[in-house]
Amino acid sequence: MTPPVRIAQLSCGAEYSGIQHEIDDAAREVGGEIFFPDIALKDIRRDFDLFGLDVRSPDLKLAIARAKALVEGRVEADAVFIATCFRCAEAAIVRNELRRYITEQSKLPVVSYSFTERTTSGTLLTRMEALTTIARRRALLARETQQGITLGLDSGSATTKAVVMKDNRIIGTGWQPTTEVLKSANDVIAHALAEAGITRDDVQAVGTTGYGRFLVGKEIKADLIQEELTVNSKGAVYLADRQHGPATVIDIGGMDNKAISVMDGIPGTFTMGGICAGASGRFLEMTSKRLGVDITELGPLAMKGMGAKVPMNSYCIVFGTQSLVNALAAGSTREDVAAAACHSVAEQVFEQQLQEVDIKEPVIMVGGTSLIEGLVFAMGELLQTKVVVPHHSQYIGAVGSALLASGFIKDD
Amino acid sequence: MTEYTPVLAGTVTKYVVVESFDITPADLGIRAYEISKDAMVKETCFGLVINGKQEEVDRIIAELRKIDPDHIFVKDRGFPPGDPRRCRANLGGARPGYHGMENEMTVIPYVSHGLEAIKTRDLSTIPLPQNPLEHKELDFSRLKKLIDAQES
Amino acid sequence: MVKVFIYPATSLILSDMVSRFGHTPLSSAIAVRERIQTAGLESPPLQITPEEPKKGLRWAAVEVPAGVRGRMSLYGPQIEACEAAIIINDADLSFGCMGCARTNELIKFLLRQKDIPKLDLYYPKNEEEGVQFVAAIKRFLDALGGKK
Repeated sequence: MTPPVRIAQLSCGAEYSGIQHEIDDAAREVGGEIFFPDIALKDIRRDFDLFGLDVRSPDLKLAIARAKALVEGRVEADAVFIATCFRCAEAAIVRNELRRYITEQSKLPVVSYSFTERTTSGTLLTRMEALTTIARRRALLARETQQGITLGLDSGSATTKAVVMKDNRIIGTGWQPTTEVLKSANDVIAHALAEAGITRDDVQAVGTTGYGRFLVGKEIKADLIQEELTVNSKGAVYLADRQHGPATVIDIGGMDNKAISVMDGIPGTFTMGGICAGASGRFLEMTSKRLGVDITELGPLAMKGMGAKVPMNSYCIVFGTQSLVNALAAGSTREDVAAAACHSVAEQVFEQQLQEVDIKEPVIMVGGTSLIEGLVFAMGELLQTKVVVPHHSQYIGAVGSALLASGFIKDD
Repeated sequence: MTEYTPVLAGTVTKYVVVESFDITPADLGIRAYEISKDAMVKETCFGLVINGKQEEVDRIIAELRKIDPDHIFVKDRGFPPGDPRRCRANLGGARPGYHGMENEMTVIPYVSHGLEAIKTRDLSTIPLPQNPLEHKELDFSRLKKLIDAQES
Repeated sequence: MVKVFIYPATSLILSDMVSRFGHTPLSSAIAVRERIQTAGLESPPLQITPEEPKKGLRWAAVEVPAGVRGRMSLYGPQIEACEAAIIINDADLSFGCMGCARTNELIKFLLRQKDIPKLDLYYPKNEEEGVQFVAAIKRFLDALGGKK
């Protein structure tokens, strides 16, 4: 049996919020093991002073000293999980600074999270899985070209995508809204295979990702079942041909958003989530319905408008839509409303998520929403950079899965 | 979620910490084993952890204190001895409370000295310690002295 | 015997002094023991379930972080029950149950609001301060009366 990935926990408040066992469970489920770096009181005094962030909470002082012990190699670990209470300003500063410090000073993968008493192991699972994958599968993630014939499937919350690849080229694709998870998966696979002109038997290896990855992966006997953070990072730098050096990957999804800081195709720090659906692809879908246009027309429409002309002062999907309706009633143009919706989503992702990762160029946007050019434009304006949208960006998870799956082709 | 059934409900656990030149945790352990009827006694690097019914634990501790009253200190513990939820071996590192105790151990010798001293000194003649709530302002004459010293 | 809340609630020294001089210390360990000796849903390691931060709403509003409210569910009832308190004001290295500065500020504030005898101290830094420290605690505890 493979030994568990040793995840060092740096935290304040988890035990007292009643969620420590949720952290333990999430780690265990993906082959990890949480531990607390062992240091002495004299280390705490010295390292806290040396680090120079003069916080008051003793448990945060302890977290700082433990981080230093990890970076300096006095305590060995495979990965680091930083967790503090949501809404604690002191802890948020420590969380951010420790994440930056560990990322810059060591090769340890880090995930940080702010929890409430409602945090469950389910919420933490994808993050933990990414953490253990990066720690354990560096060799797998080093893959830069696709070989043989592989199939990648992304079973997302909004849409299901499949890609067939052969000798480093995409030869078939399939896409449809997710209805019944397995049925949608089978349909898109059939479509991709037909387009590629091959049968299921020709496929040498299969990879799945997305919310339905376990269910579908089991059903179609996938060789690789992998969360979307690592898969999308790989897929993004592969398609954008930026496999070396830094990059930032942004994926505004149907249910949650991902912002990933990548180095040589391997995720470093990342955030996942979104407080409200108002910051998701769903909001743009609702906007296009209200405007009576297809989602594919929303982007070009937005490009003709001026978002600033429409007051948007709500982050909530319901009230946000209401604002847009009010704006239309007050005489705003459909173009301006479309632009305002795109700006609103981009701004929320910028404010809530991008603050937590270090933005390094190129910024690559992927996922279905990256096809909405108004959204890409708004994000570029906020980040003051030209955002890269690679070809097949809407198939990102499927492409990443197909690419990584070729590591599982058996030599005959 | 799983149902939780407590173990050793109705018992108490106490740390007995020894900070002395004359006796070791092992000495304390031997004495505790001698006088214990049905309490659980576990030796640690700083002293003992004793678990049992309240009266039994109190009786043992009262006896142990007699060995070196000014250098033996006692406090409650939430978990019974060796509980896997607090065990260093399972957590990878010490439970956070350990470092707090480590910190107080640096002060304990002064407290021991205090305990010895109050036996021979009249309690009412011992000055009050500094009150943290009183912010002492710098006395004017002292300030002048400081300035003069600086100038000369 | 008088119930004396000790701050830091994890203090070996204060816990010892209070019981040595004949009173009952209210400490973290007592609160944690109550949790781990109560049947319910499993939530290791401290048997603090997500319900505890909700109980903590009695002492801290919902906008206060969960860790503060969870800790207050341990200390709130003790602060209400205590009849006296000893507070060490430079307990900056008390971890775990006293590991959150915001909770600690709230605990001290609630104690100061309460009309009960209180003794504020610093940790002794030399032998003479040790004598003053012990003497002050003994005088304070003796004056509480109700001794067995």
